[in-house]
Amino acid sequence: MNWTARDMDLYLQQSEYIDTAVVPLVGLGSEGPGMKQSASETEFLMNLTAFLEHQFKGRLMLLPPFTYLDKSDKARLASEWEASIADMPFKHVFYLTTDQTWSAEGIIGDAIWIPSIPLEHMDKKLKQSVLEDQVRQIIPVLTARWTGN
Amino acid sequence: MSKSRVSRRQFLNYTLMGVGGFMASGMLMPMIRFAVDPVLEAGAAGDYIPTSQKVSELTEEPVRVDFTYDQVDGWYESEVTGTAWVYKEGNQIVALSPVCKHLGCTVNWASDKEHPHQFYCPCHGGRYEKNGKNVPGTPPTGPLDEFDVKEQDGLLYLGAAKPNTLV
Repeated sequence: MNWTARDMDLYLQQSEYIDTAVVPLVGLGSEGPGMKQSASETEFLMNLTAFLEHQFKGRLMLLPPFTYLDKSDKARLASEWEASIADMPFKHVFYLTTDQTWSAEGIIGDAIWIPSIPLEHMDKKLKQSVLEDQVRQIIPVLTARWTGN
Repeated sequence: MSKSRVSRRQFLNYTLMGVGGFMASGMLMPMIRFAVDPVLEAGAAGDYIPTSQKVSELTEEPVRVDFTYDQVDGWYESEVTGTAWVYKEGNQIVALSPVCKHLGCTVNWASDKEHPHQFYCPCHGGRYEKNGKNVPGTPPTGPLDEFDVKEQDGLLYLGAAKPNTLV
């Protein structure tokens, strides 16, 4: 499900089935090369989460991306986010990010880190197969947590 | 040498008429073309989308066939990749939509080890038989949709999705 009014209506009727939230964490670079890097990573992450949503439409809700800045206080942001998402009726929450600091420094311990692959020079076919490979690596993480609880 | 000489008045008349007529037609032609355009346009519902799948390579085992088309939604313009599960039943080609009838996940052929000859939905364990019939007792409430198919130059073309006709 996407964060749109129509999907939300369906979610509200079927919330016992759609028990998972997916949150893309998007870093916003603020100077020249950092902006390019951030744009490339955002493009990758948004493509990837859109594909994941397409595969698991009936099980997960793709939240709008949470955006932070280089100088954001990550620990504070994380605790705010986690507290407010905990209020939502989702059993499982997956944070997806291309920024290793979230999981490596244990700020969001179970954030799923995916190495960013620049998509800008790929043709459609290649882009699709690259994203498919990445999603195939994430699926076991999802199913493990789904069956674990 | 011609006897009839063109007077200055006649010459100006012809020139102005010529230029005026040219300008008028320049304005009218696009208007008429735009007015007629909806009639000339082919019906979108009858469009078939080409795939790269050769019909001769299809077997009784369902294979995944991808196809792409443009989609405009508000100001989001995107190229959407669609998928179909295609197999041959006798001489008939069957193309099933992979969209689960429960909540819209993507189903896969034989991805559940316990049921190798069924479509399986990873979201809530929905299962479908090879012809798209939903297995009773699993969440889906109806059979998988079916695509119109046609063969052109040996390649598979997929049309609009329609309710399953095989079940």
